[in-house]
Amino acid sequence: MATNDLLSLYNYDAFVPEKFTRWMNFEASPAIGNPAPDFPLWHLDERETRLSQIWAENNLTVVEFGSFT
Amino acid sequence: MNAVADQFANRGVGSYFIYTHEAHPGENYPHLTSMAQKFKHAYALRDVLGVKRPIVVDALDGACHRTYGSMPNMTWIFNQSGIPVYKSDWSDASSVVNALSYFLDVRDRRKRGDRLAPFNVHRLDYRNQDRQAFYHGLERNGPKAVREFKDAFG
Repeated sequence: MATNDLLSLYNYDAFVPEKFTRWMNFEASPAIGNPAPDFPLWHLDERETRLSQIWAENNLTVVEFGSFT
Repeated sequence: MNAVADQFANRGVGSYFIYTHEAHPGENYPHLTSMAQKFKHAYALRDVLGVKRPIVVDALDGACHRTYGSMPNMTWIFNQSGIPVYKSDWSDASSVVNALSYFLDVRDRRKRGDRLAPFNVHRLDYRNQDRQAFYHGLERNGPKAVREFKDAFG
């Protein structure tokens, strides 16, 4: 998938089933009990961090994924 | 979820919020087209919605969110080695409290010398549904978000 296509499809412009259901894929998400994939993330001040830095900070880390809307 | 973070903060539990994309784009908070806009919306999470936990922002293409299943409001718990020990396709404070209490008890049992081996559990949890509050949130996004949700789910 071309980068621009991915950006516009992921950041869909309307909450209609043909646009949002394609992304809901929890069944294929990483398994419990196995090392999780790592990704870059950014603090609000735009400093780069990583998911691995976040989970390394504490014995347990709760990570909520969400949006404004 | 802010209260859950506060409740467990002094017990070795960290809490983060990853801002993903707009699930219900509307006139006031439209779909994302740039990282600058994404940071602006992420600030609104803190300043308008009152998310008190540290907020981090995913890439514009949602690389992290997509890999973890792309659900609109899900929660994961990781141990310090990066092993997910809990994942939920919806965020519910009671479910998270239940899980954290269990894992902290596991830690205490190990400290007492119990020999514990992990195993998998699949379980349905239950959350309160407040459709009125949900629609109130959609109204904040703009009439388009309300209209599209009603069209999709009634």
